[in-house]
Amino acid sequence: MKFAFFQGCNIPVRVEQYADSTEAVLQTFGIELVRIPEFNCCGYPMRNVDEKAYIMPSVRNMAIAEKAGLDILVICNCCFASLQKAKSVVDKDRALREEFNTLLAKEGLAYSGTARIRHYLTVLHEDVGIETIRNKLVNTCKGLKLSVIHGCHILRPREITQFDDSFVPRITEDLVGVTGATSLDWRGRMECCGAALAGLNDELSRKLLQEKISGARQAGADYITPICSYCHLQFDTTQSNMAAEAPGSEILPVLLYPQLLGLCLGIDERRLGMTGNRTIATSDIDHIKSLLGPPVEEKKKKVRQQAA
Amino acid sequence: MNFTLLLTVAVSVCLIGILLRLYVWFSQGIHPPAATLTLPQRLAAAGKALGGALFGPRSITVLKSIFLDLLFQQRVFDKNTLRWIAHGLIFTGFLLLFFLHALDSLITERLFSDYQSTLDPYLFLRNLFGLMVLAGVAIAVYRRITLRPQRLMTYAGDWAALIFVGGIILSGMLLEGAKISSYSTFQRMLDDTGITDEQEIQALAAYWIEKNGLVIAHNPPAITPELVAQGQEISAGSCGECHAANSSAFVSFGLAKITGPLMASGEAGAVSFLWYLHILFCLTFLAWLPFSKMFHIISAPVSLIITRIMGKENGEPANVLTRQMIGLSACTHCGACSLECSSNMFFESFHNDFILPSEKVQFLKHIAAGKELDSATLKKLQQGLYICTSCDRCTNICPSGINLKELFVSSRYALLDRGIPETSMLSHFSFPLALAQSYTGDHLKALKVVEQLFRKSFTALADMVRPLTLERGGTFANPSYRSCYACQRCTNICPVVRSYDNPGEALGMLPHQIIFSLGIGKVDLAMGAKMIWSCSTCYLCQEHCPNQVELCDIFYGLKNAAIARIEEGGRS
Repeated sequence: MKFAFFQGCNIPVRVEQYADSTEAVLQTFGIELVRIPEFNCCGYPMRNVDEKAYIMPSVRNMAIAEKAGLDILVICNCCFASLQKAKSVVDKDRALREEFNTLLAKEGLAYSGTARIRHYLTVLHEDVGIETIRNKLVNTCKGLKLSVIHGCHILRPREITQFDDSFVPRITEDLVGVTGATSLDWRGRMECCGAALAGLNDELSRKLLQEKISGARQAGADYITPICSYCHLQFDTTQSNMAAEAPGSEILPVLLYPQLLGLCLGIDERRLGMTGNRTIATSDIDHIKSLLGPPVEEKKKKVRQQAA
Repeated sequence: MNFTLLLTVAVSVCLIGILLRLYVWFSQGIHPPAATLTLPQRLAAAGKALGGALFGPRSITVLKSIFLDLLFQQRVFDKNTLRWIAHGLIFTGFLLLFFLHALDSLITERLFSDYQSTLDPYLFLRNLFGLMVLAGVAIAVYRRITLRPQRLMTYAGDWAALIFVGGIILSGMLLEGAKISSYSTFQRMLDDTGITDEQEIQALAAYWIEKNGLVIAHNPPAITPELVAQGQEISAGSCGECHAANSSAFVSFGLAKITGPLMASGEAGAVSFLWYLHILFCLTFLAWLPFSKMFHIISAPVSLIITRIMGKENGEPANVLTRQMIGLSACTHCGACSLECSSNMFFESFHNDFILPSEKVQFLKHIAAGKELDSATLKKLQQGLYICTSCDRCTNICPSGINLKELFVSSRYALLDRGIPETSMLSHFSFPLALAQSYTGDHLKALKVVEQLFRKSFTALADMVRPLTLERGGTFANPSYRSCYACQRCTNICPVVRSYDNPGEALGMLPHQIIFSLGIGKVDLAMGAKMIWSCSTCYLCQEHCPNQVELCDIFYGLKNAAIARIEEGGRS
């Protein structure tokens, strides 16, 4: 399997470890990610200002993927939602599609809608499958308690994102479950990290972030696992910034899902960029590693059954 | 005109130009204001940094940079092979011609005691190097034309640089070609040999006509194999020592075959005309160099070495401005940054050249020089500086190693400081700026300016004196608001509303009130509510609305409309 790897603008320069660990994990399952330098911004940052300017960049990105004959694999929620939104808009609005295509034709591109937009979690869940993941596990991480925060733009609006049940999401539960770690039920699980307000209303943005940090900690989380790169930056960078302003405050370390799964698949932690997370201390990494242990009997039984 | 005089003028202009541009390095800057540091302070800081780079452990890095960045051009090599080849051909060919041909009396003659410009390998190499430059120029022209749809901008100055470089080489080749076919040049050389016998001269001429491209317009000798054979023998004895076969000058020799017969009657004039043309091209180029993008020959190496040492980090505060100015002067307007700019599609939407990094950086020198700009240009530049995803691609790709990221961030806030409201601040381009936490105070100040503009442009619900009435015709593009049946679930679930003790006051209007006001046709009232800008876009309201009112999408629509209204107001 091969995908055009859409990293967006934040990941290559601010969350490289997310791309690296995703790539390492998917490689384990024979999925190749092609990096395409021609991809531009997904358009999301412009959404507050101009809807058309927000849609157009994603149409070009999809046209580029089409030309390469590949489906797009996305990590960032906001990129994912922008691509899905653009797709749904131009698939309905023929006139707008023609307008964009006239523009794209200048650089030899055309949008026809053949490239699918896939989130990496969907690829892991649907295309790879939980059982395949289970069979590849070298370790599980029993006893690790984490709070997943989905990020809004992957779940909602459901008719656009089409990711999972927007009220009772299952994909992350299954994917965390297979690693042996516990995905806690907590209040902020499907709520806002405040990223969309950063730089516009920092006070409110940080308030929303703080609410999630406290909520996760109250639920007993050792780590927070953001799905979206914007959420990651809020929990990793902004949380560090806030801690620097309030010395002595306790940090809730970030552990990305492909980092956790990567460890369980026996991938070298350097390839997973564990130290790239600003909030994770060496002691945290040691703590996670101490919880790693061989998968439970079930798997061995299964393998034996298969062999027999 | 006297060559020495022309040369002196050109060299003087060039040197003065270089000094002027070096002065600009240490006297101007973008941000923080240049006035806070004096020229001696900046020179001293730069000197200290230079000393540290040359005589410390960093000297290894400098050496590495000279080989990798300057000579090998690694930054271009990593990104684009064709451009690397084009630049390599021009760079190598031109430099070798400059040292071995233009400065032959100073360099080549001293290196090689038997040097004669008409001997091989010099005759051959000159053509080879010249052809390399021409091939490079041809690729560059091809690139500029074919990449136009990919938003590669080309100015007159870019064409001028290519015309000068190509013109120098082409005029030189034409000159050499004219000399090859020139009868008067043949006669001059003949005088050097001391041959006087008329028959021998005839034989020699016959051989040079037949084999070396000579053209004689009046009474050429009748060419017979015997005469040519005799001429060849004489040539080997009398000319061979100082003159290789003209076929070694493979390009000029080919040109001579075309131009020779054309200019045969006026060949002496043609030679001197082409000589002047060649010299004029060379000297004008020399004089023009410091005032054009060709100054990158000096500034780009400095910029590349600094970047190799410092990366994207700022060094001493006293050197920040100097590095900005070196960077600005190192831009060759190659457009590599704009081709990969992540915001390039926004350029297609807003038709603002300044969204493209290459166009920003070209224009910033006016800001650095403190030039007064009209408010329309300033506004465009400010918007262009703000519509940036902070992805750092431009900085990573720049072949001159300019720290574009730093330049753009500091100029962004230098411009915002002038108090012109920038509505793009309300976009998510502000997100990475909030993360970086540089210029926090300036950012807040500029946001306040936008807020004030909003307050001036829209009436808030709290300020309304007369009772609300139904408005006719005030419909909103997204019709889903009509399904609202006032359950207020949106407001009850909103994480922003619950963040305030008195949300009505803090947010102007609550989510359901915004939908109500659309219902009674008060779109303007909704557009002015602070709530829409405090919306965290989490879509909880929209997802939970029992009647499928697309609240979050409506808020986006209101934000777009409010900005459009304000921008319109600014223009009229």
